[in-house]
Amino acid sequence: MTAVLKPTLARCLWVAPAFAALAILITVAARSIFGMTPVLQESTLLTVAYIAGGIGFIVGIGGFDYWFTWMRGGELDPNDHSQHGAHSWGDYFKFNTDHKVIGIQYIVFTFIMFLVGGMFAEVFRSELATPGQQVLTDQQYSGLISQHGVIMIFVFMVPVFAGIGNYVIPLMIGAADMAFPRLNAVSFWLLPVAAFTLLSSFMFGSFDGGWTGYPTLSEQSGYGMTLYQLGVQLAGASSIATAVNFLVTIIAMRAPGMTLFRMPLLVWANLATSALVVAATPFIAGAQFMAMFDREMGTHFFTIAGGGDTLVYQHIFWFYSHPAVYIMILPGFGIISEVIATHARKPVFGYRAVAFSSAGIAILGFAVWAHHMFASGMEPWLRVPIMLSTLLIAIPTGIKIFSWLGTMWGGVLRMTTANLFAIGFIFTFVIGGLSGVMLAVVPFDVSITNSYFIVAHFHYVLFGGSIMTIYAGFYHWFPKVTGRMYNEVVGRWHFWITFVAMNITFFPMHYQGLVGMPRRVADYAPEFAWSNMVISLAAFVLGASTLIFVYNMIHSARHGKKAGANPWGGLTLEWLLSSPPPIFNFPATPRVIGGPYRYGEEGAKHAIVPEVEPATVETTV
Amino acid sequence: MSAATDHSAPQIQPYRTGLRPEILGLIIFLVSEAALFGAFFMYYANLRVLNGVVWPGEFDIPAEATSINTLILVLSSFTCEFALLSLYKRKNGAVFAWLLATFILGAIFLGLQVEEYMVVGFTPQDDATGAIFFTLTGLHGVHVFIGLVLLLLGMIRALAGRWTPERHSGLLAISIYWHFVDIVWVLLFTVVYCLPSS
Repeated sequence: MTAVLKPTLARCLWVAPAFAALAILITVAARSIFGMTPVLQESTLLTVAYIAGGIGFIVGIGGFDYWFTWMRGGELDPNDHSQHGAHSWGDYFKFNTDHKVIGIQYIVFTFIMFLVGGMFAEVFRSELATPGQQVLTDQQYSGLISQHGVIMIFVFMVPVFAGIGNYVIPLMIGAADMAFPRLNAVSFWLLPVAAFTLLSSFMFGSFDGGWTGYPTLSEQSGYGMTLYQLGVQLAGASSIATAVNFLVTIIAMRAPGMTLFRMPLLVWANLATSALVVAATPFIAGAQFMAMFDREMGTHFFTIAGGGDTLVYQHIFWFYSHPAVYIMILPGFGIISEVIATHARKPVFGYRAVAFSSAGIAILGFAVWAHHMFASGMEPWLRVPIMLSTLLIAIPTGIKIFSWLGTMWGGVLRMTTANLFAIGFIFTFVIGGLSGVMLAVVPFDVSITNSYFIVAHFHYVLFGGSIMTIYAGFYHWFPKVTGRMYNEVVGRWHFWITFVAMNITFFPMHYQGLVGMPRRVADYAPEFAWSNMVISLAAFVLGASTLIFVYNMIHSARHGKKAGANPWGGLTLEWLLSSPPPIFNFPATPRVIGGPYRYGEEGAKHAIVPEVEPATVETTV
Repeated sequence: MSAATDHSAPQIQPYRTGLRPEILGLIIFLVSEAALFGAFFMYYANLRVLNGVVWPGEFDIPAEATSINTLILVLSSFTCEFALLSLYKRKNGAVFAWLLATFILGAIFLGLQVEEYMVVGFTPQDDATGAIFFTLTGLHGVHVFIGLVLLLLGMIRALAGRWTPERHSGLLAISIYWHFVDIVWVLLFTVVYCLPSS
């Protein structure tokens, strides 16, 4: 009985519906008082129920328990660590304030969402395997490609980096936890709410505007489109909260001696990413608010008939969503720098240039949004400046590529699975980067816009880029997180199958796009039959290769051989702790005495962790 | 709730920065709030500058009446600051009184805004001009409302005697938030009310 009163998932089961029901009651009452007809407007009631239910879920899981005490004017105990750390597997399903637990929660949840989004892709690839329509209707096809994009971007790619950062960043900077542990937990628990909102739109026929949800199509769609707009808001709120947390943690919680230029490059990358999230994500919130008001309240932001402007949605949307591309890759760049330096046993080549290039990409990222709109009929004078700024972004990105190559140059490479993924990433990301430079050029972009060339480009930078870095990070820190080694042979099989299948899946799309196959259409001309069959078969292999990874992770976490504190011989702070790290990370404040990548120097140290006996545990129950 | 208090957590000394983490976090959060307002101002600027929409069209936005309202909100920023100054002088009664004054001024502002909505003679559903007018002022109104709730909580904690000159980050945060809402309003008032198309 008490389980439904304590902050658990069981409490969510009644608090969330109760909040939703209350919101519906208030809305019905307000509508009848103000004489709005019909009183029982279905879409309005559903929308308020979703919003209130989402808040109710966070209340139910315990997100506000501590703040309720504050609100009542009660006394708070800053040393209350009752929700810190996982003592059994059940603690992973609770509101937990330990950054390591939250990191694992993030990674596991987002990876499950990756599998879900991947399954959507497999379903519509089976439709695309042969010309004509066999499996899906147009409506279902549009719904699935839109869900695939939105799930992958908003509940996998953006938050999974928050998950890796959550686990690793506080360790790397020598902190006991993130700056705001409860906010950290709230931002994780917003994600299941966002995922539920997005996925439950299947009950209303999904949404069919692609992941971008442009008006006027979005204004004519079924109710699922409103859930897309809500789900994106929720995921956005989660990532802003995390970004604020990362920024404060990195700025204010570094160990003594950890100057800016002694920070590992993953920390630099997260600093730049978080700044981007804070400044850019509100723009998608604004765009979705306006689009939702148009749908649910009958305003005319984007309808020409009411004096609105359809195109401005795209401006505001891409003002977030282009920086979002860097939000999805910058932390990956950081991971690659860590992995390559550690496994090549060499200092990072051009450390400061790489750090500054992250900041450069973050700043330039705000000046290139309109290159998504060359063919949209926007103001023509905007084209050339945006083309030039887009081409400029190849420079900081190139700095990073040459830094990785320079780091590997002359090093004795340890070909672990993590390093294989890092090197494979450089190969595929350069392909995606080059097609990106092609797309920046206005005449080329206008001629192949909305074709499969675009699909090829962004899958090369998101799968060949982000996901390869995510795998590299997973393998690199797996021994630290679980205390056990993954199976290297199975890992290599995973890498090679993924790498080959990924290239066979996405490379032919360049060709398809150049000869004119349009994207987002369920059917295609018969001359594309052969290439589409190849792509679909490779896509199934790619999907299956993920299962190898899942098997490796689950099996190795339980039966792998013990890893020890520092299997890779890394110098950064997280490797100076036991695997997995102690519940409060460091026994005493670490002191940072040198740069993070002093590989090859005899007896070089990045930091010293003083050995101190932990104070005796006082527990009052 | 059985709160197991664990004092085994080692005291990690953070790197020295001038700002307390919670205040730094609030300021970063306000940057993202500014960006949210920025998205709506972007729409507004697009409508007026690029599309050349006549503002406020056939509607009448009551700039004179609202200028008094603006003064009320600016005044409330000062009373909010006096609450903090009283705290530094350890006058706990004055803290509560100044917070109450701020709350009352904020509530008057919000009430007058709602009253303006009723008499302004157009609705968000009329056209894009109405939509962006109501959304910009409404978004700001929501922020004032949240500010009022925070002020109320500040008063509750003041009554409970929780604010001390040594521990008052919450009160400082409330006042910074309130100033932010005030600054946004001054900008909004200037751009939306005082710049009609000539």
